[in-house]
Amino acid sequence: MTKILFSDKLDKCVERWKSAGLTVMGPVQRANIKTYAAVEHASEFDFGLILTDRSIKDLFFPQTEPMLRYTIKKDAINTDECLPPREQRIIFGARACDASGMAIDDPLFGWDYKDEYWFQRRNESVIVTIACTNADEFCMCTSLKMAPDSTKGSDVLLRPLENSKGWQVEELTERGREAFKTIADLLQEGSDTAAPVAAVAEKFDLDACVAWLQNPENFDSKFWKEISMRCIGCASCTYLCPTCHCFDIQDEGDTYSGIRRKNWDSCSFALFTLHTSGHNPRSTQSARWRQRIMHKFNYFPSKFNANSCSGCGRCSRECPVDMGITETLQEISKLSQ
Amino acid sequence: MSEPFEPKIIAFVCTYCTYAGADLAGTSRLKYAPNVRIIRLPCTGRISPMFILKALQKGADGVLISGCHPGDCHFTHGNYHARRRWMVFRALLDFIGIPPERVKYSWISAAEGVKFAEFINSVTNDIRKLGPFEQYSQLIEQTQAPASL
Amino acid sequence: MSIEEQYRKRAMELLSGGAVKMVIGYGRGSNAERRRPVFISSPEEVNRLVLDEACIANLSGYLVNEGLLSDEKRVAVFLRPEGIRAINILAAESQLDAEQIVIFGFDVSGNEVKALKGIHVEEFEDVIGAIKEHAPEMGNEELLEKIEQMNPQERFAFWKEEFAKCIKCYACRQACPMCYCRRCIVDSNQPQWVNTSSHSLGNFEWNIVRAFHLSGRCVECGNCDRACPVNIPLRLINHRMAQEVLKSFDHFAGMSKTQEPVLASFKKDDSETFIL
Repeated sequence: MTKILFSDKLDKCVERWKSAGLTVMGPVQRANIKTYAAVEHASEFDFGLILTDRSIKDLFFPQTEPMLRYTIKKDAINTDECLPPREQRIIFGARACDASGMAIDDPLFGWDYKDEYWFQRRNESVIVTIACTNADEFCMCTSLKMAPDSTKGSDVLLRPLENSKGWQVEELTERGREAFKTIADLLQEGSDTAAPVAAVAEKFDLDACVAWLQNPENFDSKFWKEISMRCIGCASCTYLCPTCHCFDIQDEGDTYSGIRRKNWDSCSFALFTLHTSGHNPRSTQSARWRQRIMHKFNYFPSKFNANSCSGCGRCSRECPVDMGITETLQEISKLSQ
Repeated sequence: MSEPFEPKIIAFVCTYCTYAGADLAGTSRLKYAPNVRIIRLPCTGRISPMFILKALQKGADGVLISGCHPGDCHFTHGNYHARRRWMVFRALLDFIGIPPERVKYSWISAAEGVKFAEFINSVTNDIRKLGPFEQYSQLIEQTQAPASL
Repeated sequence: MSIEEQYRKRAMELLSGGAVKMVIGYGRGSNAERRRPVFISSPEEVNRLVLDEACIANLSGYLVNEGLLSDEKRVAVFLRPEGIRAINILAAESQLDAEQIVIFGFDVSGNEVKALKGIHVEEFEDVIGAIKEHAPEMGNEELLEKIEQMNPQERFAFWKEEFAKCIKCYACRQACPMCYCRRCIVDSNQPQWVNTSSHSLGNFEWNIVRAFHLSGRCVECGNCDRACPVNIPLRLINHRMAQEVLKSFDHFAGMSKTQEPVLASFKKDDSETFIL
């Protein structure tokens, strides 16, 4: 016997969470895009999606965010720090790759300076993940040693029932248990079996790739140029990636008043490393693509002991020129044989 | 009673014709609406559509652009180039939903002080009737708000 | 012999004779529906080239990559009619020397791929002229009409919602063969004309600037539309602007390599009904 949440009770759960003061969010299709957004009713959710176009990162690390407001007068400079508005949230129906992506970035945002914007939202959110029963050819969590039902980063894991009438409930964290206490009477004990998780084929040998990347001789390999020749240098891979976290700080305003903002930035842009002098240490697109791969699978793990990739496959799925991490690591796997 | 709405209007004018026309309006003691802030440029050919966007970004309710009549350009054909650019930019703004009534174009020579005063008055009246450019100010206000998720 | 085989053979001849240093074409992609750009520089590799109805991307943008053409050697490229128009514009705007470009022309109607005769860009003027007379359906006519019938407030609201999705990844710009500026106006900050932040106003401004800079230059290849990861109907705006320059100035972008850019030229009797 396991705890079961039947789908016909979900609308009541949403009501219950809302009256408990939580903002309920989840996967939706709106304005011709699949994304995570706040909902009023359970009917707005779209659990049929394999994955949303945009990642769950948007909910924790928005594309642009004010940090401080300033005014400058003759005799005084005033600054007002801006923090995100307080908001308790439950994100219902995340995917394991998205949830683990957030956990991957936690040490990054907290290793030295603790990023208040990130941690306030992290602490105020409950992530309820639904294990995948479907995958497409771009999914690659298993290649990253994760699975469609990984629990990393999730507060509650739901497994869809074989009869598709609901989900088996597995509460993973205190925060998850707390949120599900609100709906405890809506859960039932049952013996319905869970549907098998999606079969995601392993696409590359991660350990071999990492070893190849760690070999300093390969830094200047001609491989980098060949693999990234068609890269057009846009940021769709980085901006859709749940773990890419680079940002830029921009002052918007004039001499008298304005706002300092934190905006997403991408290592794919030539401007990312351009010096004021005009010198650019990453002067070619191949150097930029190499940086992205090296950062994810070499530099980041050497500091935080985890790869900065959760295997969602969005980079390959959405790339305008059909590139992506999968292809690059597949080619590296071949090279390292 | 609330104050009647007074639009904020930015005028980009060429120094050789329209600016001189404005000067003539002034020295002729012609009265015209004080809602317009004039920005003087060397030629209408120098008026980039970026200027218009900047004016809207800074909260203008309307924008005026004016220069020498065709054939009178100090630089021979700067205004011909400008005319084509406006034609296209105007269509773009219209398609995006920025009403053409808010961005107006005219030819005013150095001798047309009266035309200048009348132009300013009529455009100010029109924009006053349209009211504040609320849709655009909403965009501007949103930049002040905390990140929306 | 299929067109694919003919073109592979031609690519082999050109590469082995040294007539071109590289062939830019399509190869197999990561799934059955996808084709990806490939760069072939040795005759042994020509079998990687694929040509079928799934080859839709406009590859002309790669030609202006820094340094590619600076050795004055020739490069061959697979192009649909829109791509050929793009070469004309790039040549007219002095971004490349059309003599250096060897064209493998093709067009797709339905499931059928047909070869376009010619090697140099000037040989395709009839093909381009025919498109000017009978523009192919874009599949977005219905939406365009719907937008045209809206009032300004509704149009503004429509685009506001669409642009709200923008994340400023600049995939539209990077995918566009006409966006070749070394430093885009949104990346310039002295002065900073439009907001670089991806908030509602910054997104609105960016999309207006992008559309304006492509007015009278866009060949409607659809690269921007396909590249946009958040599905903004970008091509629609470009299409509307193309209609405008055609109607107002009888300008059809990319007719020839000597065509004057529409916004860098004028006629003394250009329409000016809107000027007071």
